[in-house]
This record gives sequence, structure tokens and C-alpha cells, in this order.
Amino acid sequence: MNSIVDKLYVLSRSQKFRNLIIQFIFLIFVGLFVYYLISKALQLDITLGHFVSRAGFGISHTFIVDYTSNDSRWFAYFTGVVNTIRMCIVGIILATILGTIMGVARLSKNILFSTISYLYVEILRNTPLLIQIIFWQIVFLQLPRISEAITFKDTVVISNRGILLPYASSTENGYGNLWIGIILIAIIASLFLSFYINKREDIHGKVIKLYNFKLSGNIIGLIIFFTIASISFFILQKPYDIDLPSLYQNDKGTYLQSGGFEFTPEFGAILFALVMYTGTFITEIVRGSIQSLPKGQTEAALAIGLSNYQTMTLIILPQALRSIIPPLTNQYLNLTKNSSLSVVIAYPELFMVSRTIMNNSGHALPVFFLILVTYLSLSLVISIVMNILNRRVTRIGA
Amino acid sequence: MKTFRFMFILLSVMSIGLFSACGSDAETITETVEVIKEVEVEKPSTLQTVINRGTLKCGVNDNLTGFGVLTAAGTFEGFDVDYCKAVAAAILGDASKVEYVPLTASARFEALGAGEIDLLIRNTTWTASRDRDLANDFTATTFYDGQGMMVYADSGYQTIEDMDGATVCVLQGTTTELNLDDRFTSAGLNYTPLTFETNDPLQAAFEEKRCDGWTTDKSGLASKRAEFPDSAGGPAALTVLAETLSKEPLGPLTRDNDSEFYDVVQWVVFGLIQAEESGITSGNVAAMAANPSDPGMARLLGVPFSGGEVADFQFGVDPKFIQNAIAAVGNYGEIYERHLTPLGLTRSGSLNAQWTDGGLIYAPPFR
Repeated sequence: MNSIVDKLYVLSRSQKFRNLIIQFIFLIFVGLFVYYLISKALQLDITLGHFVSRAGFGISHTFIVDYTSNDSRWFAYFTGVVNTIRMCIVGIILATILGTIMGVARLSKNILFSTISYLYVEILRNTPLLIQIIFWQIVFLQLPRISEAITFKDTVVISNRGILLPYASSTENGYGNLWIGIILIAIIASLFLSFYINKREDIHGKVIKLYNFKLSGNIIGLIIFFTIASISFFILQKPYDIDLPSLYQNDKGTYLQSGGFEFTPEFGAILFALVMYTGTFITEIVRGSIQSLPKGQTEAALAIGLSNYQTMTLIILPQALRSIIPPLTNQYLNLTKNSSLSVVIAYPELFMVSRTIMNNSGHALPVFFLILVTYLSLSLVISIVMNILNRRVTRIGA
Repeated sequence: MKTFRFMFILLSVMSIGLFSACGSDAETITETVEVIKEVEVEKPSTLQTVINRGTLKCGVNDNLTGFGVLTAAGTFEGFDVDYCKAVAAAILGDASKVEYVPLTASARFEALGAGEIDLLIRNTTWTASRDRDLANDFTATTFYDGQGMMVYADSGYQTIEDMDGATVCVLQGTTTELNLDDRFTSAGLNYTPLTFETNDPLQAAFEEKRCDGWTTDKSGLASKRAEFPDSAGGPAALTVLAETLSKEPLGPLTRDNDSEFYDVVQWVVFGLIQAEESGITSGNVAAMAANPSDPGMARLLGVPFSGGEVADFQFGVDPKFIQNAIAAVGNYGEIYERHLTPLGLTRSGSLNAQWTDGGLIYAPPFR
């Protein structure tokens, strides 16, 4: 008996044993806490069954999809996803262009250019994005009010309700989607065809001629595409019409506008804020990558008589691209994730639509899970595309 | 306090888990939580707590002109705030013994449930889920609100039917967007909803006429209209359409199973309504109490009628509690006149008129 007490006493004096006991107890507490959270979550309704019910709320920006409040919550959510993707694609393209121009300007010997670029980076990188979004919203709201809207003979309407441009709209006969499908197939087919013909010419030297006029793959591709597009357009009884915007007064004398392609102040504000903000980081990435190249590259290019422009586009940028792409991917992901800030100024992207669904249904947990999965998928797609691009760029000339 | 309670529950759950044979049995955990909940419910009634403490903790809005607002002088003012004062005057005999707790819309129910406040009067709509599911008790309706539509006066819009093709600014809420869509789609009207998360960007857009209409509760619209900046035309540039899109009855609420306190609050509300009906105001209440004109008035004011006994209904407070409340804040009509009429919320012809004038403001008999 005594010996057991003694042994326990010795054990209790052992640092190693005491640590083990403490860690064991801590592990049990953590385990129980996690179990408690999960069991609580399981008591809630964590299915997405309510997503099939009628949405019942309107969405202001519906791009491509024809959403009405009678559609299901799934469709409302999908509309939000489309709005997010639209924002991200346009934003990524514009931010890349802006960042590249500013990055090159930053290194320009022209003091005006380099100062503009310097100020742009330092001011916009160091202010919060949310503030910039609200700033751009206020800027866009300073466009003329609808009662003083600028119009150009019913082709363009400019007011702070949105800038309306002529656009195509599907007609009543309902073949619109079919025609879009045919167009897509025609694009793919003509691309393959032109690629094949060009390759045949490059490798085998075979050339298609029409009355001494050489037909290259590009020309044939274009001809094929336009032939398919126009023939199917008339066979399907003109499924698309030109949709002209209009500014009109209702019977109360109040001005309203409708029709055409709508570029709204909300979309504009988010787009400007995201592009300008992300552009600063891309500027710094481009500048850093160019500066990391040996100076001899520029000097050699200039020595063989290339102009400044040729040096930049033919020698410097292609080499810099290798070290630009990996950090650029991060910025694209940031832009995608930051687009969820649209919620503050009424651009209905996926986070905002989901919030409305959450408010209406009261099931926050599964909807949040869905939002996370959606953003994760978008980010993974961007990563995969950029990785493929990266592999191509690093392989060439390696 | 809340954190402490959470830690307490957590530790209890964990220790039960440790000591029970099968460690992590879900039923044991749930039972423990329920036991803890039951223990918490068995507290002294809120009425007794308030009397012992000597102050009333009242949850209010601090940013809605007319209903509850924190003034530049650092005091709280408004329709809802006056009800806090009335309840404090009724229970403690002093309308100044209120501790105001400004609350956001999302934090209000948890604040009440956790006992941070005794009473919640923060323009809160009475709904079934809030009454049952969130374990509150709504006492009585003090203001019949409803979703309305505010437009620019020069737009010529008179009804929702005129607004075909209009753009409407709307604040993201539990039902606001749904009511808006129901109204427009059922009438076959086209509209564009611009849904904002917070008020400031919405107001910025509305001031620049980005949208034709602004929809939220009528009380909120009246409040926003009253403080509409002169640079954008001032209150006169706006009108609130007569139509109401939804039912939003607002009133004070207490915790579930707290009958003593609940009854006092409820009958203070009814007492102020009855006072208006009987013609008792803050100005004449002392004279009326000294010489009540009929037994009903004597019962309401807690005074003897021609040398008889004082009617005590065992509310657990001074029988003169309604008299104290009237003396402090006046009757229902006076409170309305003081805070809501200046906002442009006309009382006559609305649901908030007295029942004798065709409204819904009605008190059960005080006997």
C-alpha cells in the first residue's frame, strides 16, 4: 500500500508526467467542446431544402439570366453568382491592364509618368477599400439626374440611374438560347479549323488558293464563322433584335429610362474601386519583376538598335512575366474575395443575395456554408487557370 | 456577465462529461444545459429586482428621431423613451430613475433574454416567432406601424399603381424586400429594387434621385423625412404615400414567465390610453385626483371616491401608479403629440387614433 502511494508521489513530482496529464485533460476539454458545437449544429436544420421555395424578392442587376421574383431561391443565388463572376472577369482584365501600364510608368525616365504612378500607388494602396467603394459610389451619383439626363438620339442615355447603350435582346420566338449555342459551336469549330489550316501551312507548306489569292487559316475561320452565324440567324427567324435604350416621361411627368445594356453606378463604383485598388498591387508586382531582371538585358536590347517600346514589349516584359504570374494569382484571388464588399452599395452579388435568403429563411448556417464553398470554388478555378498559364510561361525558352 | 455565464455553462458541461461514465453522451449534455436553464429562470421577479435596485434598465433606440434618440445634451428623448419614464414613474415614483441602454436591432432580444435590461421598448414589431420562439412577451401595442413608400413630392406619384417602371431603394431586412415585391408583382408592375445593407449609402443614393421611392416602416420614413437635409430640398420635398404595405405593431416587451412585471408594464400602457379617453392630462391630473368626477376615474388614479375605499388591484406597486405615470409623461395623446406629430405622422384617420375616432387605440376596463 505504502509503496503505491510512494510511486504515485514520485510520479506526481515528474515534470514529464504532469505535462502529460495536463495535455490529456486539455485534449478532453477541446474534444468535448468540439463535440458540443457539432451536436448543437446538428440540432439546427442544416439542409438546403428551403432553396427550392419561391424567392419572392427582386434583384436589380440581372445579367444574361432572366430572374424574376417567382423563381426559386436557387435561381436567385445563381443570379448572384453570375453577378460576382461578371464583376471578377471584368475587374481582373482591367486591373491587369492598369497595373501593367502603371508598373512600366513607375520605371519611366519621364518624371511626370513616374510621379503619377508613384502617387497612384501610395494613395490608393494606403486607404481602405470599403472607403474607396463608397467614394466611387458618390462620384458616380454625381452624373446628371434622370430629369437632366443626356441622350444621343435614343442610342445612348447617360444619367445617375445608369449609362444605357444599344444592346441585343432576344425576340419573342424563343430561339435566342439555341442561336447562342450555335454561335458558341461555330466559334469553337472555326478556331479548330483555322488552327489546323495554319499548322498545315507551317509544316507541310500547303496553301489554299482562290484565284491567286492566298487564303490563310484566319480568314477561312472568319468566313466559316460568319456564314454559320448569319445562316442560322435567318433560319431561326431573327432570334435577336437591336434593343435601343429610351428615356421617357410617364403620365405623371416623371422621367424613367429603360432598355439597352445598362452600366449602373453601383457596378461602376465597385468595378472602379476593385480595379484601382488591386491595380496598385499589380503595379508593384510588375515594377519588382522588371527590376529583378539584369540591367544588361535592357542595355543589350538598346545596343542592337531596338526602340524603347520594342525593348519593353519584346525583351523585358516576356521575361518579367515568369516572376509576375505567381504573385499576380494572389491579387486575382484578393479581387474575387473583395468583391463581397459590394453588399454595402446595393450591387447584388452572391453574398448580398445570400444575406437576403438568410434573412427570409432564418437558416444562416447552411447558407453560409454554401457561400464559403462557392467562393472556394471560384478561387480554385482562378488558381488552376493561373497555374496552367504559369507552367506554359516557364516552359517556353527554358 | 454574458461571457461569465457562458463559461459557467461550458465548464459545467465539460465536468459532467468528465465525471459521467460514458463521458460524451449527448443526452447528458442536453440535460445539463436544461438544468442550468431552469435554475436561471427561478430568479426573483423583475418587478422586485427593479424595486430593490431603485432604477429601471430600459433598452431603447438611440438613433431614430421621434421614437428614441440620444440628443446633443446627452439625454434620451422620444415616444418609446417616454414609456420607459412612465414605467419608472409607476414602479418607483420617479420618472428620472431610468437607466437607458441603447441597443442595435440585432442585439436587442439577446440583451433582454440575458437580463442586461428589464424592459425593451425599441420600435419592435410584435410577431409570433419573436413572442414564442425568442421567449419574449409583448405587452400591448403602443404604435401601429406599417411599411410605407416615400417619394419626391414633385414626382406626382400618388399611389403604388403610379410607380410602374420605378426604381425603389430598400433596406435589407427580414420582410421589407418581400412585402415590396409582393405589392409590385401582384399589381403587375415593373420595378427595380436597390437593396442596401445600411442607411447611409441608401440616403446618399436617394438624395441624388438614384431611386424614385424609399421603402421602410412608416415611422422610420417620417423620421428620415423630418431630418432630410435642406441641401436636398428639406422635408417639404418628400411625401409618404398613404398606402401601408404591411402590419408592424410596435410595443414594449418583457421576458417570458415574468407576469408581475409584465402586468405592470401592460397596464401602464393601458392606463395612459384610458387617461386620454377620460380627459386626464399631465396638467390636470393633480386636480382630478383631488376630486375625481366618477368612480372609474378614482380607480384609475388610485384615489378614494367620495370618502370610500381605495381600489387596490394587487399589482405589487403603489395603487397610484397610473396617476404617477400620467403626472410624469402625460396621457397617450400628449406623448404622441410631443414626439410623433412633429415628424408629420398625422394621428387623425390613422390606426393610431382613439377607438372612439375610428382608430385602434383601445384599453380594457380598469376595474
